[in-house]
Amino acid sequence: MQRRLSQEDAAFQQRMRDFFTTEVPADLRERWAAGGEPDPDDMRASQRALNKADLAVPHWPAEFGGQDWTMLQRHIYLQEMQAASVPPPLAFNANMVGPVIAAFGSQAQKERFLPPTANLDIWWCQGFSEPDAGSDLASLRTTAVKDGDEWVVNGQKTWTTLGQHADWIFALVRTDPDAPKKQMGISFLLIEMSSPGVTVRPIQLIDGGHEVNEVFFDNVRVPADHLVGEVNKGWDYAKFLLGNERVGVAPVGSIKRRLADAKQYAAAVQTEHGTLLEDPLLAARIAELEAQVMALELTVLRVAANSREGKPDPASSILKLRGSQLQQDVLELIVDIAGPAGLDWSTDDWEGLAAPTYLNFRKASIYGGSNEVQRQVISSGILGLRG
Amino acid sequence: MDFSIDTEQKALRDAARELASRRAPQHGEGDVPVGPAPHDADTWSALAEVGALGLPFAEDVGGFGASAVEVSLVATELGKAGVRTAYADALIAGSLLATAGSDLLESVTDGSALVVPAMAEPDRAWSITTSSVTAEGADDSWKLTGEKSPVPYADAASHVVVPASVEGGLAIFLVEGPTAAGGGVTFDGTAATLLIGPDNGAAALSQAINLGIVTLCAEALGAMEGASTMTVEYLKTRKQFGVPLMSFQTLTQRAADMYVSLELARSTALFAAMAISDDPSDSTTASRAKVVVGQSGRHIGQESIQLHGGIGMTAEYAVGHLVTRLTAIERTFGDTRQHLASLASTLSDHEQVDILS
Repeated sequence: MQRRLSQEDAAFQQRMRDFFTTEVPADLRERWAAGGEPDPDDMRASQRALNKADLAVPHWPAEFGGQDWTMLQRHIYLQEMQAASVPPPLAFNANMVGPVIAAFGSQAQKERFLPPTANLDIWWCQGFSEPDAGSDLASLRTTAVKDGDEWVVNGQKTWTTLGQHADWIFALVRTDPDAPKKQMGISFLLIEMSSPGVTVRPIQLIDGGHEVNEVFFDNVRVPADHLVGEVNKGWDYAKFLLGNERVGVAPVGSIKRRLADAKQYAAAVQTEHGTLLEDPLLAARIAELEAQVMALELTVLRVAANSREGKPDPASSILKLRGSQLQQDVLELIVDIAGPAGLDWSTDDWEGLAAPTYLNFRKASIYGGSNEVQRQVISSGILGLRG
Repeated sequence: MDFSIDTEQKALRDAARELASRRAPQHGEGDVPVGPAPHDADTWSALAEVGALGLPFAEDVGGFGASAVEVSLVATELGKAGVRTAYADALIAGSLLATAGSDLLESVTDGSALVVPAMAEPDRAWSITTSSVTAEGADDSWKLTGEKSPVPYADAASHVVVPASVEGGLAIFLVEGPTAAGGGVTFDGTAATLLIGPDNGAAALSQAINLGIVTLCAEALGAMEGASTMTVEYLKTRKQFGVPLMSFQTLTQRAADMYVSLELARSTALFAAMAISDDPSDSTTASRAKVVVGQSGRHIGQESIQLHGGIGMTAEYAVGHLVTRLTAIERTFGDTRQHLASLASTLSDHEQVDILS
């Protein structure tokens, strides 16, 4: 066992810290740190700065911009990026569709899509969930029917995050409605958002923001070679993608950043007996969160090191479950620190953003496989409890 | 950062596992002892034989030159098997003897002397900076007055190590052949040897307690693992309404939460052992570990009994004994409240918790 970073890893950490705090513009990082709705131009600028330094898609194959990093280095990279409030590479590009195309796409698809995906020249969104297929994703009903050398797509996707900015959508579509199991007969299709028959409708959320959308497909014609891998094998690719999604899914660096912010905020709020940071109840709550975040980060390091490449590791469910809980706990703490000042949403200072952000992040235990689904993965996949 | 153990550590762990399985208490029908366990001389000499008692102390003071990491591996196995010993207590005493350069340490590591700390006091919350026991004297002639209680294993101990107030602060004393009564030790002008004077007493005590805390955290980790494993097994095999308990999703989801608590506690306990090996004075990490392990132990303990149903309440079944031990550990060497209060008072010392530097 070794507690300290090796010299090599410590140098790597310093290199990341230097890059993120000097090469990504400070004004952009400040806007990101403040929270609220992400600015797509900032996200593009950030990802392109990272990509220029080969830091946008480190976990991709080397020929498409990947880095031969250990899991520890990957953690350090994410941690330093989040600590410096650098907008991360768009997850739909970097963590989802990119690795799927790299692993299962044709040579032509790799050459066509991977460079612009890494550089955010193509903005991807995810077409998985449907009104009747959320956690039970395999129940999806959007169809794709072969007509000559095109697929004709009909149906509806929902919860399509940032779809209003997207150039392309990667969608799971049913290509064999007669398959014996509902997981079979699903394919992974790449669809241009500007195609005739695609309609995007915004869904407004309780924080007032426009983050997710419904996407409708009405006889959308998609060239046959936009299907990734083999027809009817889309479920396998989706599982691969969701496994990737859970790597780094505990945003430890962001949680720590927000908790450090919370301490600053608390130190600035006066009470009858000093500042809120000196209030015994609040201070104990922060101390407890620091201990719990430490336990999470240590578990990220311990579990990630054992992560089986390419396969969803059920242990990563621990990180999703606990990471989302602690993220929510810290945002709840901040809205509590804001107190009555948080009732006014009209300002864009931390007090004004506290309540909408708290409400927005109730999503964290729902998306990416709800926490109930993660518990199911742990109980059946790790503990062998199968009813 | 690396959590894996090497070949030598594996061998030590295996030896401890074997010892623990032989020494594990046998539960069954009849009159099973419950609550705190008395000192068991046979288990103690077995621990001495595998070298467990001197692991963290340097060779030149009579130890075996390993670290708190090795101690943790042993303690986890004891905890898992439900073997209750004075291990953490003896290591605290040993640490203070090592700091003092006392010859007695060799008798501690070979198991011939049982030396335990006398820390807790009646009607006082846990403290390592104050003591209501007072010492008076000079040079080779010191006398202690006051009461320490409870003092686990005092009835079997050859010596107790006692923090006592002297002019100038807290000093550490050694008392031979303590008179134990009612679970505690009373000093009434009792002759004592000065181990560490007031200039270094509090710091040495704090380091010793940190070692005790990581030892207890590891033991708790073992107990949590034992209780979780038993609970999962029970859900698989026990039938109700004609189906195994694991057919009920509410139960399997709770078992999943227990597993999450267990793995978070495991990471933390291992890290704390590494941190204390690196820097014995890192009380902040020790306190964070005590908090995480305390809360996990409470969660896993309570759920283990609940998911077992009535059987979890019985003395004839092991799981309740593990929960008993977890309950005691959370209240030993500072409880969750005390460690949280200490962490809360130092929040402004750091911007955030940095484990990678």
